[in-house]
Amino acid sequence: MRLFKRFLAVVLLVSVTWICSSTVDAATAPKQTKPGFAFPTENITIEVWWHEYGPFTAYVKELIEAYKKLHPNVTVNATIASSTDMNQKLTVALASGTGPDIMDADASYYVAYYAKGILEPANLGVFGVKSYPELAARYVSGGLASGTFDGKIYTLPYQGNSMSLFINNKLFAAAGLDPKKDAPKTWKDLMALGPKLKKVEGKRTVQKAFEFPYHSPRWQLQDLQPLTEQFGGKLLSDDGKTAYLNSPETLKALTLWRDVTKACGDPKNTKSTASNPNQDFLDGFTAMWITGPWATPQVQASPIKNDFTVVGLPQVNPAKPHTMVYGWAWGVNKNKPENSKIVAWDFVRFMLSKPDEWLAKAGFVQPIKGVSETPVAKKFPFFNVHMKDVQTATWYMRSENVNEIAQAVGRAVDSVVYDDADPKTALDAAQAQVEKILKK
Amino acid sequence: MSASGSTQSRSLRKLFRLNIAAKQALFAYAIILPTLAVIVIFRFLPMLQAFYISLHEYDLIRPPTFIGFRNFIDLVQDPLFLQSAWVSFIYVVFSCVPVWVLALALAVLFNREIRAKNFFRSATFMPVVMPAVVNAVVWTFMYHQDGVVNTILAWFGIDPIPWLRSSKWALWAVILIGIWRATPYYMVIFLAGLQAIPQRYYEAAQIDGASSWNQFRHITLPLLKPTTLLVMVMSVIVALKVFAVPLIMTGGGPADATRVLPLFIYQTAFEFFKMGRAAAMSVFLFAAVMIFTIFQIRLFSRGED
Amino acid sequence: MMRGHSRYGRIFVTYPLLVLISFIGLLPFYWMVACSFKTNENMFLMPLQWFPNPINWNAYGDAWKAQDFTRYFLNTTFIAVAITFGNLLLGSLAGYSLSKFRYFGRGVLFLLILSTMMLPLEVTMVPLFLIVKKFGWPNTYEGLIVPFVVDGFGVFLMRQYLKSIPNELIEAARIDGASELRIYWQIVMPLCKPALAALGVFTFREAWDMYIWPLIIVTKDSLRTLPLGISLFMSSFGTSWDQLMAVAAIGTLPMVLLFFFLQRSFIQGISISGLKN
Repeated sequence: MRLFKRFLAVVLLVSVTWICSSTVDAATAPKQTKPGFAFPTENITIEVWWHEYGPFTAYVKELIEAYKKLHPNVTVNATIASSTDMNQKLTVALASGTGPDIMDADASYYVAYYAKGILEPANLGVFGVKSYPELAARYVSGGLASGTFDGKIYTLPYQGNSMSLFINNKLFAAAGLDPKKDAPKTWKDLMALGPKLKKVEGKRTVQKAFEFPYHSPRWQLQDLQPLTEQFGGKLLSDDGKTAYLNSPETLKALTLWRDVTKACGDPKNTKSTASNPNQDFLDGFTAMWITGPWATPQVQASPIKNDFTVVGLPQVNPAKPHTMVYGWAWGVNKNKPENSKIVAWDFVRFMLSKPDEWLAKAGFVQPIKGVSETPVAKKFPFFNVHMKDVQTATWYMRSENVNEIAQAVGRAVDSVVYDDADPKTALDAAQAQVEKILKK
Repeated sequence: MSASGSTQSRSLRKLFRLNIAAKQALFAYAIILPTLAVIVIFRFLPMLQAFYISLHEYDLIRPPTFIGFRNFIDLVQDPLFLQSAWVSFIYVVFSCVPVWVLALALAVLFNREIRAKNFFRSATFMPVVMPAVVNAVVWTFMYHQDGVVNTILAWFGIDPIPWLRSSKWALWAVILIGIWRATPYYMVIFLAGLQAIPQRYYEAAQIDGASSWNQFRHITLPLLKPTTLLVMVMSVIVALKVFAVPLIMTGGGPADATRVLPLFIYQTAFEFFKMGRAAAMSVFLFAAVMIFTIFQIRLFSRGED
Repeated sequence: MMRGHSRYGRIFVTYPLLVLISFIGLLPFYWMVACSFKTNENMFLMPLQWFPNPINWNAYGDAWKAQDFTRYFLNTTFIAVAITFGNLLLGSLAGYSLSKFRYFGRGVLFLLILSTMMLPLEVTMVPLFLIVKKFGWPNTYEGLIVPFVVDGFGVFLMRQYLKSIPNELIEAARIDGASELRIYWQIVMPLCKPALAALGVFTFREAWDMYIWPLIIVTKDSLRTLPLGISLFMSSFGTSWDQLMAVAAIGTLPMVLLFFFLQRSFIQGISISGLKN
């Protein structure tokens, strides 16, 4: 009996010590970056992570090879994760001290990494500039907004996608429409096209005129945000502390969303998924679809080939256009040796140094000045439409709680579209959920 | 003299035997030790730690801060958590009850003389063989608007059902898969239980002229009681754990219709990075497992009185 | 009279019912394999194509090349084998200890181990992750294997089975002067073969199926398991259904083979999981 009691006591003791000591190693104290720039001469290995997308992966691998030739003392290891769980993988790895030197994340997530003290500001020496504004001046206005925190630039985008309207020319022609002349400029125009382009056989929808995304909450936020802004509202205050999900403007946006879907689409019949969001458009099942320039290679590889048109995002008031830019960016891990960080920033600089190649090989638009003049951009279908939409855009919502906010938005949209819930009730619920999250 | 000698040798023998017993006990402790270590470190410690973390706010990277019972208080008032608990409850009830009935019925069926029994039994058993992730992938495909399930329904004049694209149907779609996969599993357990019932009971009943329904009612069911209890407890625990299928098929949507508790815990911990809150949810889930189990055992022991 | 009744019942009720049940059981398997041989244009053809025509032979090769599935396959196999061996060894040792020895605290230990069967991983995954993180095991084989190397069920199963082995055999060996370890290895283990086979197949199936845990702790491509690979493949840009079905079919094949070659152990593992005293 005594033996057992002792045994129990030991087990208990061990567990208690364990629990008490199990608070997890916090990030190490921030260190000062050395001014200037001297490229390390010793052997250095850095790790870079990025999200899987065929052409993009191929291009980054090419860049790694090229960089190795420039700097034989540097080894670049690569890890590729799915775009859907990149944020999770990254946070888990950073928490257990196995994070990469260079990270790739959806630009809207970086605010959380910044708050957690993981990001290293851009090394000005590496970029050959004296100040952050000087670096920002190389980009189009607002191009670096997503990665600027408290006046410092922490991340650099390799894609800043406008969200523009893609049109399937054949389906337009079949309905007796001209994709140039009849392209919708406003949401009203678009709804008017609904009956002409939507086809129903019995109870089955066989063609949709247009559809908003339903495959993922993040995409739903991506479309509701510019809609709300077109009505003159916003979803979240600039400091990220107040939500306006049930404002009159958001309500107008969601009501419009519902009416457009009713007139133009049928969310129940779709082959689009979170991983193949453009599928219905590529299949010629949806005549119009909002997506980014990155989809261009996919469209060209589909049966549509080059028979498509891109026009600016439909507007509420074309005199005051408002659009959205969404993208991914590179960031550098602060908790790495100084020399690794220098190499990491230099590799980021190297990777981003040929915006025309990014466009040609990965289909990504860097929001940087001068891309439009390159021959690649001139050949890229509707490049100027995309660039024009970028210039009237706000970046995708920046918040530590962006996933939860997106879910709240998605939930409101789903319940309105699928269950015929009242938009006001749905938005009130979403607002209550988000307020609760933000209060903490 | 001889007497004292025998006493001495007896006590010596006793001592010797004791020594052997101690050695054996030592051996017994030694061979159970690795198992104990694994179970304590990777099962019990996490359970205790779940309570500890649930009292904190913790995002994996910044150090945790103690917040008392706030996570629990928040959860009880959070409509999303309550919704998720409700979804789990519906899932458990509607995926388990049909499984009990179907599994028992199938077991009775296969306990009979049937031609080509092996083929039929193997075919019935196959769903158990399919890995959960494959299950989710294949059924996502089958549930498509123009997919095979709707095609078969159309043979009977039923309009296409938007299985995964409607907050009304999605949970039922997930439940159907649960039933499909679990039924054969518990059928096997019931079958083992049925085969353990001595044949002579039935022979006696037949002599008394009892109908097959009465035989089932008065012999099979009472004797299957322990098996039934076990099936009930196991199936409820397994149903409370469902994760891969809703995650892969719907991600919890549309409008949270399929966000079962484990999925919400996972999202809270590894998408929203709120470890404390997720741990508090785990504590609730654990309580649910315990309550279900105790409730079922109670139900059965009362029936026995 | 009753016999005649049941014969008609069999022909008109039982067999059609059996055919229907088999159809439901096999349909997803058939559909998975059939669609892996369809061309993508024919995937959602209306009316539905029940037999692939023309046959698309490329899905398996293309899918296998699209990601490092060979690696995922080997990872899963290695992890599942390691977990299975761990369970067989530790489970039988613990079961032997609990069934054939008398010592203080035995009952409590047994209950302790048994109670873990009621404790789903989903409840403990968050703290378990933090503990494994403390060991520095995220992204390692240790992290994937060690927490599952023994399980309450295995101990329970072995204990129940070992109880049925007569003590005399062990006593006789002791009198012959065999060491305890030797008795376990050379006398007890060979007698446990059916139980070991059942436990082995059962554990292997569970380990092959494991999803939530690898999802949490694996971030490196080189450590991905097959279920992770399949779900990643499903959520990658531009994955086509034929390839996805091909990968799904390959992920199922080992289980199907295991079932057909070790059917008895497979079924026994499950039916023993229903034994309770």
